[in-house]
Amino acid sequence: MASISSRRLAKELREIQSEGCPVGISLLEANDFAKWLFTIEVMGDSVYQGEVYTLQFRFDSHYPISSPAVQFVVTDGKEAPIHPHVYSNGHICASILGNEWSPVLSVIAVCVTLQSMLASCKKKERPTDNDRYVRNAPENPKKTLFHYDGEHYNFKSTYLQD
Amino acid sequence: MSSREPLWFCHECHAEMRPLMVPDPVCASCHGSFVEKMENAADDPRQFAAGDDIGDLGGAPGVDALLLTLQSLMDRGMEGRNSPNQRPPTGPSVTFEVRSPNGSRTVRFGGANTLGGRNHDGSGPASPDGVPNMSTFIRMPPLNPFGIPLGGPSGGAGVDRQNISGALMAQYLMALLGHNDTATLGMPENGRMGDYVFNQEALDQIISQIMENSNAHRPVPATEEVIAKLPREVLMEGSERLEQDCAVCKEQFKLDTEDPDEQIVVTLPCKHPFHQPCILPWLSSSGTCPVCRFQLVPQPEQHAPPGRPGADNGGSRSPPSPNAGPPSSLREQAMSTGAGAGRNGAPAPGNGNRGPEPGGLFHSLFSGLSGFAHGSHNNHAASNSNNTPSTSHNGGSGSSSSPNHDPSHPRSWSPSWGGTSGGSRPRSPRPTSPQPIPQQRSPPPRRSSSDPASPNSHSTSPRGRRSGNSNNLPGGWADELD
Repeated sequence: MASISSRRLAKELREIQSEGCPVGISLLEANDFAKWLFTIEVMGDSVYQGEVYTLQFRFDSHYPISSPAVQFVVTDGKEAPIHPHVYSNGHICASILGNEWSPVLSVIAVCVTLQSMLASCKKKERPTDNDRYVRNAPENPKKTLFHYDGEHYNFKSTYLQD
Repeated sequence: MSSREPLWFCHECHAEMRPLMVPDPVCASCHGSFVEKMENAADDPRQFAAGDDIGDLGGAPGVDALLLTLQSLMDRGMEGRNSPNQRPPTGPSVTFEVRSPNGSRTVRFGGANTLGGRNHDGSGPASPDGVPNMSTFIRMPPLNPFGIPLGGPSGGAGVDRQNISGALMAQYLMALLGHNDTATLGMPENGRMGDYVFNQEALDQIISQIMENSNAHRPVPATEEVIAKLPREVLMEGSERLEQDCAVCKEQFKLDTEDPDEQIVVTLPCKHPFHQPCILPWLSSSGTCPVCRFQLVPQPEQHAPPGRPGADNGGSRSPPSPNAGPPSSLREQAMSTGAGAGRNGAPAPGNGNRGPEPGGLFHSLFSGLSGFAHGSHNNHAASNSNNTPSTSHNGGSGSSSSPNHDPSHPRSWSPSWGGTSGGSRPRSPRPTSPQPIPQQRSPPPRRSSSDPASPNSHSTSPRGRRSGNSNNLPGGWADELD
């Protein structure tokens, strides 16, 4: 029997293929249940108008109990959007990808969330701790604990110990 | 300053004086900053500075010799630098046996590995004459290249030479004096030793550790006891469960399953049902309902989203107050907006400082895409015995179309998404009137768990309906992301 992970991903993929993705999001690659790529574009007026980004999902066998590892692709000439919650290495500080992940979320839900995160951005800027984070960031963004500092409206990051 | 105040000792000029406070104390004699208050007779800095008396210090007779050796290593380093292509000299090693209250310890300096790499990185200072005392050492520029071949065959290979500094020297000396709990005196991995860090990465890690320790947001798993007490039911013919979905796997409950465990439905106290094999792993990582975040066990407090004055569920597109702090997380935001949508249908009493919230983001994320909320809604409705019979959408066929649905729930992908886009949105904005909620909800145990169901809980999302998520966002988004 297929694992819960692959069954769930197969189901999500079927829905994507039959219903398509929300506007501005399209499936770029889903050759297996380990890594999917999407393109994501903010529709309408935004500071990212006309810019297309590539979003990478990596799944482990515990998906959807464990969250996917989601980041923007920053290789092959691709870049991460300049956003206060997106590090220049493509890592994204979004709680739904970390502590507040829930298995009821889905790949498309994450895509839409991130698309919305971009759409609401008023000013393109990197996280304040971008340099510090990127310098030592783990390869897998899931190894990072992002902390939200409500007082300063400021995300900080932490590397999880292995 | 009272005359009874203890004098200070200057480690640089060895003067005993009262320091100038500017505002940090500096030596009144030489204006050096390495001064120490002599308030503890058992730890008199004058003894420490007196090289002749060094043997009196904590059974560390080797310090003098150690410093000599270090000096000689440095001197050889200078030679090596002057002839860069020369193979690094392989000097004899020097071994100390240090006895301390913690037992004896052997320290070895020198040897081939110690001197490797010296040529390309020699930037040491001109060697002072004679044996430098400790304060001299500490004021020295980094002693690179400088390796201590302790703690493994790699010797100093892993040492970030540029970052070896006086602090490290002090640490070595402390170790010799038996004040250090590190087993070896080699450069520690990660550039850390005791309270010292030697590079940016190590500093970052310490900061991270501190932050991690203070991180109060990690989910708390449900205890086995709590899990064991959850009501379970075995699916039966005709059960209304069969029309519902498990929100984790997003499959409909059904009787014929390969895994018999999948016919066991676990219902959380918030009435959300799940396949047992689906929900148990989740509860082992987070004791919350995946759908509504009901807390089976107390969870760390999230940042409370601020009240959003003026926000309502009626489609106000005004940007959120800039003064309103963002909630801690997207999901909380989503949760709270979902709850807000429900609250419109079933007005809730004042809930702290949280005003009515823009509705439906959470709901839209979840239900619009997965259909789970429909099931949860029905389930919830069932518990309130006042709802139309449930329907389900995500059948085993894999299609999520919803041919029939509760008429009380207008079929739309999401009220909040629908209302969030600008002019290009093909669908009308989200309803300006509250969505009908046919049943009163029982008061939630907690805000975030207040509304497992949302008014628009159909999973079907025709393309056109998904298109409206581009521009402005439900109120909370901008809050969140500012």
